[in-house]
Parts: sequence; structure tokens; C-alpha cells
Amino acid sequence: MEEFWQQVVTGIATGSVYGLLALAIVLIYRSTSVLNFAQGEMAMLTTFVAWSILQWGEYWVMFPLVLLIAAGMGAFIERVVIRPVEGAPILNIVIVTLGLFAILNNVATWRWGGIPKGFPAPPEVQVIGIRFMGEGALDIGPTVVSYHDLTILVFAVGIMVALYLFFQYTPLGLAMRATAQNPVASRLMGIRVGRMLTVGWALSAAVGAVAGLLIAPLILLQPPMMMGVLLFAFAAAVLGGLDSPVGAVVGGLIIGICENLVGTYTPEAWLGPDMKLTVTLLIIVVVLLIRPTGIFGRRTMRRV
Amino acid sequence: MLKVRDIVAAYGPIVALHGVSLEVPEGGIVAVLGANGAGKSSTLRAITGLLRPKSGTIEFEGRRIDRLSVEEIVSLGMSHIPEGRQLFSELTVLENLRLGAYSRFSGADGGGRLARRDDMSPLGRFQHHLFHAATGGIRDLARGITQYRQRRQDFETALRRVFDYFPILAERKDQVAGTLSGGEQQMLAIGRGLMANPRLLLLDEPSMGLAPLVTREIFEIIQAINQSQGVTILVVEQNANLALEIAHYGYVLETGRIALADTSENLRKSEAVQRSYLGQ
Repeated sequence: MEEFWQQVVTGIATGSVYGLLALAIVLIYRSTSVLNFAQGEMAMLTTFVAWSILQWGEYWVMFPLVLLIAAGMGAFIERVVIRPVEGAPILNIVIVTLGLFAILNNVATWRWGGIPKGFPAPPEVQVIGIRFMGEGALDIGPTVVSYHDLTILVFAVGIMVALYLFFQYTPLGLAMRATAQNPVASRLMGIRVGRMLTVGWALSAAVGAVAGLLIAPLILLQPPMMMGVLLFAFAAAVLGGLDSPVGAVVGGLIIGICENLVGTYTPEAWLGPDMKLTVTLLIIVVVLLIRPTGIFGRRTMRRV
Repeated sequence: MLKVRDIVAAYGPIVALHGVSLEVPEGGIVAVLGANGAGKSSTLRAITGLLRPKSGTIEFEGRRIDRLSVEEIVSLGMSHIPEGRQLFSELTVLENLRLGAYSRFSGADGGGRLARRDDMSPLGRFQHHLFHAATGGIRDLARGITQYRQRRQDFETALRRVFDYFPILAERKDQVAGTLSGGEQQMLAIGRGLMANPRLLLLDEPSMGLAPLVTREIFEIIQAINQSQGVTILVVEQNANLALEIAHYGYVLETGRIALADTSENLRKSEAVQRSYLGQ
């Protein structure tokens, strides 16, 4: 039984990272209907930037700095790359984000090289005598949890709560939700829709950056590191419903747990860890057959 | 208050307005009548900048607005209640109303932070700048706080007024807008427009899809808004009867041109209007 819980906890941690990246994808998709295939590469690039900053700086100096840089990069990409193809057929936009994917990947290889680098987990922090983050593991009764897995969970939950509060209770958040729903009416309210989209991309890039920073210690820092994560994140977003931030997170957790359990408990001769991706995606196909809009996705209703 | 002169506008190759001119006097209610596709909505869309006119001019309170963006135009004191209401259907009634007040607050940044003193000597101006640079942060904060109070009060006042006109909205304020009835949705659309404290209200087919009794109620409220608050109103309607009942002046649009323009009394008597629009 201990092994089971162990797998579930690990699954929750990696699932949270998928959920975060899925959240980044959903933030953009909801407001612009753009599926950003470069989301993973954006996170990868900011993690490399973080690595460079860590060569001379503290982790907790680097962290806010990287979020700012990521947000700036997101805003820049929206203005320069995405804005010109706004309103173009969906396939054009897909090609543009795929191109962006290739460019960012090349830039990372060119600037930092293809050799995998170790990336540190957030260092230990003591708050009122309670230890957070750092090395080692914590015994929580049925199983032990590594501090880094806990860190991932805390960050993921924190970001989700913060985003919820932002969208629900601030004027800017309300304006962004309005823009996502009805751009024309938003303009009539005096909302600068273009600016909202830029802010959306900035926010999304920052959320993605956190996902990159949290997963890098587990899988080594290298240009293709986010490919697998991106695949799972997309699966998570689709599973949860592409327009639902809650769905993205729940989808991420489900996939993270599934992935771990399938990898551990199916016999090697039959499926085993090598087939965990296939089985996970199979589960998603089945769910989507039953609920085509995903678990939390809204059925698009058209009033006649 | 609003002067539209000779505007030509098109959707791609399809010309919707072939030189439309109209005037809305301050404090009045002006109706634009016409059949489907006559260019009624396009006229309103051109005024708020949703449809950019190819030629012609639009003046609002003496200021050219035909080259401004939608966001700028609506923050000048004009609310456009679009065809089909265009509510934020997944947001609550209160959130819709909050968004209605958005244009009033977003524009209020640190304007007037430095008093323009052209009569100052260069040294005096430098000292003035220095003083403001040093105290600016504190002053901005203080202004932010007082402005916040002021905005909050403005918002509450506007909200109370909307709830006075439409008490049902107060009852439903936490309900999602998409679940309201058609009449309630139209009320919310008008209420959302009023939250910006407009001096000019543009209404696009407020009767669309509503039962006759509900339509009448809404038109009565439109008239009340005009009379008690002095809000100028430009209303576009297919229901000519009702529109001419509350309007002071009317225009008849036919295939993107003004076919008739007269006081609503005369229009009601006019044979052409009776035949085509009043069904008599």
C-alpha cells in the first residue's frame, strides 16, 4: 500500500506541473482561441535564463526576475508574432506557434548548448519554525513525500488561488474575463482589448515559467525538456476542457496520477512503464468520447 | 450634440451607408427608422467607431470623433447598446454593470499631475518640477486614495440609479446574465450602458425579440431616462409606431440613404411612413 500512495503523491506533484502548463495554455486559448504550441518552449527558454541568472545570483533573487522576464517575453511575442496573424484562419496561427516552437528551441540550443544541465530545486525556507522546500523527504504517515514534490504542490496551489482571486476580484481580471467572452462588447465598455490580450500572454508565460522552474530539477535542463511535459499538458487541457482553468489543473492531476500508476502497476510483459503514455492517452480518448468538451468544458450552446 | 455628415461606410465590398447625415440635438430623442438591412445598425456602428467610415465626418459635442478608436469614443460620454444586447452572458448581472462603468475609471490616470505654468521662469519651472518629483509619489498615493473613494461613490450612485429604473436587476444581481429573460436582458443592456453616466445613449433595436408589453415598458423607461436625467437618446427601431411615440424627431433610412427626415408628428402623418412602417 505504501508504494501505491508513493506513486499517487509523485503523480500529484508531476501532475501539478502538467496542470500549470495546461493552465498557461488555457489562459491564452480562452481569450484568443490560439493553441500555443510554443508554450513549453517558452517555459524551457525562461528556465535557461534562470540557469544563467543562477550563475551569479540567489535563487530567490532569480525567481521574481525570471517571472518578470517571462512576462515580458510573453507580451513581446503577442505584440510582434501573434498580433499580425490575429483574425487569420486557425491553421495559419497554428503554423505560427509551431514556427515559434522551432525558433525558441533553436535559440536555446545555440545559446546554451544541447548538453543537459542540472537545475536546483528551490532551497530550504523556514517559516515560523516549519520547514519548506529544500532537499530530503517528509514522512506523512502512509508514505514519504520529497520536499521538492511538496514545493511543486504548494506553488501550483498558490498560483491557482492567486489567479482565481485576480480574475474574480480585480477590475483588470474582470476586464480580461469580459474580453475573453465578448471582445466587441468589451470595446464598447471602453476596454482596450489588445492590451488585455498582451496582459493575458504575459500572465500565461509567467505561469509557464513557474512550471519550467519546478520540473527542471526532476528532468534536467536541456532544449527538448518540455516536449513530453507539453504533450501531457495539452492532454490535460483537453481532458479538463480547453476553456476551463479548473479543468486544466484537474486534468493535469488526473494525468499525472494515471501516468505513475500505469507505469508501476501494469505488468511489464503486458504494458509496463514503456507504454504508460499510450495508456494515459487512451484514457483521455475514452473520456472525450463520453464528454467531447472535456470534464469541465462548457458545451457551446447556440441560441437560435 | 451629435452631427453626422455624409458618412459612407462599407463591409468589405458591400457599401452599407451611402452618405448618411443626421443630427441629434442635446436633450432630445431621435429615432432612426427603416427596414432590415437599411443601414440602421451600421449608422450606430459608424458613430461609435465599430465600423470605420470611408468618408464623411462625425462630431460629438463639437469634437471630431470619426478617427478615434472605439475605446476613446465611448469614454467621451457616449454609450452604445448594441443590436442583440451583447451581454457578457457568463458573467453575473453585477459584473456586467461593473464593466459598464469601466470606461469612466480606466481613463482617470494621473492627468494634471504637473500644472502647466508657461508663465514661470525656467528656474521656477525647474523648481516646480523638482518639487513635484519629490512629492509626486505621496501626492499620487493620496490622490489614489481620495479618487478611490470618489470612484466608489460614483459607482454606487450610478448603480442605485440603474436599480431604481430596473428593480428586477437588483433582485437578480448575482445571477448569471445568460439566464435572464429577454426583457430582463434588454434592461441589463440598458443599465450597463447607463453605468458609464453617458450624455448620449445609442440604442439599437431595444424591442428586438421582446413581447409587446415588455417592449412598451422598456420604451417608457427610455423616455424616463431622457426626461429625468436629460440623457440625449438616438434610438434605431423597426417598430416605428413605438419609436415615434417617444421621439421628437425621426429619420427614415432606405438602403443606406436618408429617405425622410422630419418631426415625429409629421412623420406619423406622412403617407409614405404610414404605408411602409406603420402598417396602416
